[in-house]
Amino acid sequence: MPYAPDHDQVPNPLRYGLRADSAPEPCALVVFGASGDLAHRKLIPALYNLAVSAHLPAAFGVVGVSKSEYTHQQYQEDMREAVGKFSRTKPIDEDAWRDFAAGLRYVPGAFDEDATFQRLSATLEEMDRARATRGNRLFYFATPPSTYPVLLQQLHKHGLIRPPGDPRFTRVVIEKPFGRDLASARALNRMVLEVMDERQVFRIDHYLGKETVQNLLVFRFGNTIFEPIWNRNYVDHVQITAAEELGIEGRGRYYEEAGILRDMIQNHVLQLVCLTAMEAPVAFDADSVRDEKVKVLRALAPIEGPEAVAQRVVLGQYTAGQIAGNDVPGYQEEKDVAKGSRTPTFAAIQLNVDNWRWDGVPFYLRSGKRLPKRMTEIAIQFRKLPHALFGEGASAPNTLVIRVQPEEGIALRFSAKVPGERYRPRTVSMDFRYGSAFAAASPEAYERLLMDALRGDQTLFTRKDEVEAAWQLVDGILKVIEAPDAPAPYPYEAGTWGPKEAHELLARDGRAWRRP
Amino acid sequence: MSASIGEPISGGQAPRGWDELSIRFDDGMDLGKVRALLQQAKERGGTPGETVSAFNLVGIYFSPAAYERAQAALESAGRLHPCRLVVLIGEQRGEGDSVTARVSVVRSGGAVSLERIVLSAKGAGVRHLQSALLDLLLPELPVVVVWGGRTEGDLLQRAVEAADRVIIDSGTRAPEALAEVAAMVARGAPVGDLAWARIFPWMSLAADVLDVPNLREHRGNLRSARVICAGGIGAEGVLLGGWFGSRVRKARVQLVVGPEPETDSSMPGAGDGASATGWASTAPLGKGQIAAFEFTAPPVTFSLRREKALLIAEVRGDDDGEVLHRVRLPPETPGRLLGLELKLLAGQDELYAAALQAAVKLLPKSGP
Repeated sequence: MPYAPDHDQVPNPLRYGLRADSAPEPCALVVFGASGDLAHRKLIPALYNLAVSAHLPAAFGVVGVSKSEYTHQQYQEDMREAVGKFSRTKPIDEDAWRDFAAGLRYVPGAFDEDATFQRLSATLEEMDRARATRGNRLFYFATPPSTYPVLLQQLHKHGLIRPPGDPRFTRVVIEKPFGRDLASARALNRMVLEVMDERQVFRIDHYLGKETVQNLLVFRFGNTIFEPIWNRNYVDHVQITAAEELGIEGRGRYYEEAGILRDMIQNHVLQLVCLTAMEAPVAFDADSVRDEKVKVLRALAPIEGPEAVAQRVVLGQYTAGQIAGNDVPGYQEEKDVAKGSRTPTFAAIQLNVDNWRWDGVPFYLRSGKRLPKRMTEIAIQFRKLPHALFGEGASAPNTLVIRVQPEEGIALRFSAKVPGERYRPRTVSMDFRYGSAFAAASPEAYERLLMDALRGDQTLFTRKDEVEAAWQLVDGILKVIEAPDAPAPYPYEAGTWGPKEAHELLARDGRAWRRP
Repeated sequence: MSASIGEPISGGQAPRGWDELSIRFDDGMDLGKVRALLQQAKERGGTPGETVSAFNLVGIYFSPAAYERAQAALESAGRLHPCRLVVLIGEQRGEGDSVTARVSVVRSGGAVSLERIVLSAKGAGVRHLQSALLDLLLPELPVVVVWGGRTEGDLLQRAVEAADRVIIDSGTRAPEALAEVAAMVARGAPVGDLAWARIFPWMSLAADVLDVPNLREHRGNLRSARVICAGGIGAEGVLLGGWFGSRVRKARVQLVVGPEPETDSSMPGAGDGASATGWASTAPLGKGQIAAFEFTAPPVTFSLRREKALLIAEVRGDDDGEVLHRVRLPPETPGRLLGLELKLLAGQDELYAAALQAAVKLLPKSGP
């Protein structure tokens, strides 16, 4: 029977009100860089856990592609070992693994060789027949950024990228770093969008897959009591800390190229700034959320020129020290790091968000390697009391701390009367801990993000303009600090909270870093 | 993420026996002593730590055996949702006038995340249970009652009035009992139903096939549906038909008795209805369970069928015979369904309420 053309637009009457998320369509997932660290530690264990929890469609398969010479069976065995080691659920569920492994294939080959992609095409066609994956493809670039151009060209050349209107979907997940500065990010975006549509591109930042980061949106926009005070009238300043106690863990070659600004600030830390500072989206869909994040990035006052950088940015590099009772080497003693390297391993930055809500409220960011402990948090420091009723300094300003990791949760610090004393306040903490309040194990960030990519939901992935706006800010700093005459980063001893200049950055505004 | 965060709490599986404290009252009750016992249980093994509770979970049973059957489910759900669990076991026909309180706690990441108080009363002691319950509930937090009895009577009515949610399992009873539930829900009772949670995979898959790009054009032309149950009609099948009917009002819905079940296990509802955990496992297909579900948008028929632990969707008339979707049925471990229902701690599930009203209309008319 003929249908009116607008029948496609009829809302799905059976979708309304369902508690379960929609299941992904059948799909073949292709992992480029299949023998690498990310595939071993994160991607395959995440996919296995999705299989265990029955979140993957039964018509599903994974094709690993990389240079290493494996047979299908060897790859399956290698991945089983990786799952045994890195999966968050243990022991391995043999039934689930058998099912999952039956859809695991491997294609060896170099990315610049046509033969590799011919074999890949043949394997995918075989998978469509054997696993009913229906021609749907999700390509995952778990490879160094230098390989992205050749992968895009090869996929395009071999007809593996279908246009967005095609009933068989093609999506590409691209790992960070997305470019190494604004120019290269723009060039990469151009290259990507020459062969596909923005709706097919999933630029991944695994921080956005963390429950606490997503909870920030629920916390802000799912409660009435916080939003009225979430502005310049009540907030004195915001501190965002993303600290790691680890060093560069043998990745000297990568880190020498990246440094802390590219590795952490441009992506993870600025994403936290966006989620903290953004306005409520009109709807909880990909573009509405990302529109609001882009507005924040565009409202960031640029940090350009040596003077602005000197005033608002402190960079550091760790020297040998002690962490948790153990000696650790300095950055320049690490493997593949040049003597005299000027790569920063620590950054403290003062950002200003020039908009109606945040004008005059500094956002202080700090991130570094070899700091005393691994932790990420957002601290909203509220204003001082207008009148010191209980004595000057007796009541500390309220602080709301959102702990992203570890011990995910939220703490509100406020004053309470010390029992027995005459109106003597003391700061106490009201604490919410994710792990206690919701005893169910949270999925790994990669599980959530892979599911979203399989479903085609781009909300937690960064959009072209978002990436470029983030680079815009960082680019201004990079231009100054990477100039030949730029001063070297300040040294700081491993196991401390960065160079003393980072403390001075706040001290001159009459503020101090929190001691997390 | 640190290893200690978000891991399932270990208790509930192991602690029975060694960490349970109990006290018996032969003449009335002293709840102060029950609270003291609870505190003692918390202090066992060192510092009590903080107690985290999101709600009060109340189980009401009429025999120790019924509670035994439900125990794993309650504890499993409690592992997912930190709470104070208060279980009332009333044996009116039992001898004596005693009440026994058993308390224990379960920890997660250093905090107490499940406090369990089991009050067992016999004979005249049963009359103390309700007032004891009201005193033992954590204030300000929602109260969810898991009802293990028949879906009728004064006691259930009182539970409905006092609770933010009452969870039943209409799958353990004959489908005709849905009429009583529907009447309660029509009066605004915040009822949750494990039979409803059991059909989520069918509902999801049916919605999924209509989201497939080249099949969306059929959304506006849905005309009829058939639910095929194995060996007899079960409550889940009626609810699934009701759900479809409530979502596509112009559609004609039929309930059909289909193939023989793969197992001799009795149809949900044929039992005494005393357990909240009487659901059948995913496979094999039990009597009364849904074997297939078809709906049409002429000339196209969408056909969903169950094969062991898989649900398979096909479409005929459009892409003839092509397998569209296969999804794994999630494992029906004890407590998973209850855990699903506990995601809603207060109020009515509007979708269930609408489906239930439509489901009742599908039941055969009783009487001459």
